[in-house]
Amino acid sequence: MDKIQQEADHLYKQHFGKLVASLLYASHDIDPETAEDIVQDAFSAALIDWRLQGIPANSAGWLYKVCRNKALNKIKRDKRLEPLTEKQYQATIETRFSESSFDDQQLKLLFACAHPDLTPKTQVVITLKYVVNLRVESIAKNLGMTIDGVDKLLLRARQKIRNEKILLEEPHPNALKQRLSIVHKIIYLTFNEGYKSTAGKEILREDLCEEALLLNKALLDSSLSNKETCALHALMLFNSARFKSRISDSGELLDLENQDRSKWNQDLIRLAHDFFTRSQCEAVSTYHIEAAIACLHCIAPSFEQTDWRTIEGLYIRLLQIYPNPFVELNYAIAKYYAGDKQGAFKILNDLQGHTFLNQYYLLNMAIGKLHQMEGNDNLARQYLLKAQQQTILQKEKDFIGKILDKMKDRS
Amino acid sequence: MERFMLIVREDLKRIGRLKTEDRFAEGPDMTDWIKSLIESGNYIGGEPLAIKGRYVTQNEVLSDGPFIEAKEGISGYDIILAENLEQATAIAQSCPMVMQGFAIREVRPIQPFIFKDPV
Repeated sequence: MDKIQQEADHLYKQHFGKLVASLLYASHDIDPETAEDIVQDAFSAALIDWRLQGIPANSAGWLYKVCRNKALNKIKRDKRLEPLTEKQYQATIETRFSESSFDDQQLKLLFACAHPDLTPKTQVVITLKYVVNLRVESIAKNLGMTIDGVDKLLLRARQKIRNEKILLEEPHPNALKQRLSIVHKIIYLTFNEGYKSTAGKEILREDLCEEALLLNKALLDSSLSNKETCALHALMLFNSARFKSRISDSGELLDLENQDRSKWNQDLIRLAHDFFTRSQCEAVSTYHIEAAIACLHCIAPSFEQTDWRTIEGLYIRLLQIYPNPFVELNYAIAKYYAGDKQGAFKILNDLQGHTFLNQYYLLNMAIGKLHQMEGNDNLARQYLLKAQQQTILQKEKDFIGKILDKMKDRS
Repeated sequence: MERFMLIVREDLKRIGRLKTEDRFAEGPDMTDWIKSLIESGNYIGGEPLAIKGRYVTQNEVLSDGPFIEAKEGISGYDIILAENLEQATAIAQSCPMVMQGFAIREVRPIQPFIFKDPV
C-alpha cells in the first residue's frame, strides 16, 4: 500500500463518522446518505489531489474543508432561492456544535446511535459504521453477516435516521440514563462479537474487542459514566486477558480447561481488578456479576482449583436479574464442577425441553461432555454427535471431533 | 425495559395439513435470531402452538373453533424485553419468518395487572 493510500485509510478510520456527523449537524438539508456520499467523494478527491500535490500538512483539515465545500454546493444547488453564504454556514456549524453538552464528538455520536427505537443489532451496526468508522464489508465480516444483510439493515436504519434525525439531535438530558444503559449494551455486544466465534467468521476478532474497550474508555473519561461502566470495563479486560490462550498454536479452539494459563496476561488481569474494585456499589448489574465470574476464572491457579461454588452462586444471582436459557446452561455446568452432579444433570435434562436450546449445539455438547466425564461413553457419544451436526462452524465441529477421538482411544 | 408478546400468525388451515416435522422444516432457521436476542438480553421465552385445540364459550365447547379456519391464526408466540413499542416492533420485523413472508407478527405490550385496593 502506498503512503497516500495509507494516510487516507488512517484518516478514514479516524474521521469518517465525525465528517458525516459534522455535515449532518451543519445542515438539516443533508440526509445521512448524502452526507456519506459527500465524505466518500472527498476521500476520492484526496487520493487524486494528494498524488499530484502531495499530502497537505493538515490532511484532516483538508478533508473537512472539501466536505464543507461539497455540502455547500449541494445545498446551493438544491435551494437556489436561499443561497447560504459561507459565513452563515460557518455560523450554523459553530452554534450547532457549541450547543452540545458532550465534549467528545465520538461519544455524542455513540449516544445518538443508542436510540431506544432501534433493535440492538441495528444499534451495534450503526455504531460500527458511524462511530468506529468500519466499512460495510468489515462490519459484515465482524458480525458474521452478509454484505447484503448489512446493507439492507443500514438502508432500513437510514430511513429512521433521516425521518427522526437520530444522528442530529442530542438526546435530552433526562433520556441520558436510559441511553447510557443502551450504550453499555452496544459496547458489550461489540466486544462479544469480537470475542466469540460465530458463523461466517472463523477467527477471534481482536480488533473489535479493542474498539469496544476504546469506546468504553472514552466513556469512563467523560462525566457520563457510572459504576456499571467500570464493571463492564473490568469484565472486558478479564476476558481480554485470556484472549491469546483461546486458540492453540495449531489454530484449534481451546476451552477453559485446556488453555495454557501461563499465557494469560497478568497486566490486564491486574488492570481489570482495579476497575472491578472501582465498580463496587449497591446496585449490582449483570456486568458486575459477569465480571466477578470472569475474575474468579482469571485468578484460579487451575481449572480444578476454580472456586466453582462461588461461581454457581453468582449464576443464581444472574438468573434472578435476567433469567435466560444460556445463563441456565452455564449455571448447570458450574453446578456440576461445584460437586452437585445430580442437580446439574436435572437442569440440563429440563433444558432439553426448551424449543430453542434443544436445537442449539452448546446444550448437547455440554451434556455429552459431562456424560463423558462420568464414564457414560455411549450416552456421551450420542449427544456429541448431535451437537456436531448442529453446529455449522468447522472449528467447533473439529473441537467436538477431538473429544470423540479421545473417547475412542480410551475404549 | 418492558415486556412484549410477539404473536406469530399464519394460515392455520394450511399448516394443519402438514406433518409436524414438515411444519417446522419448511420455515427459515430461527436459531440465530433467538440466539442474538438472548445475547442482547431481550429474549424471555417462546414456543410454537399446536394447531388442534379447544374453543370454549359460555354455552359450548367447540373442538375446532373458528380459529382452525383462520388465515391469520395464532401459531406461536415469543415474549421479549424491549425499550419501547418501537424497538419491539423493529425486533419483530427482523424475525426471519416475517422477513421471508412465512408469517406475520402481532406486537402486544404485556399490560401489568393493576390491583384495586380493597375498600
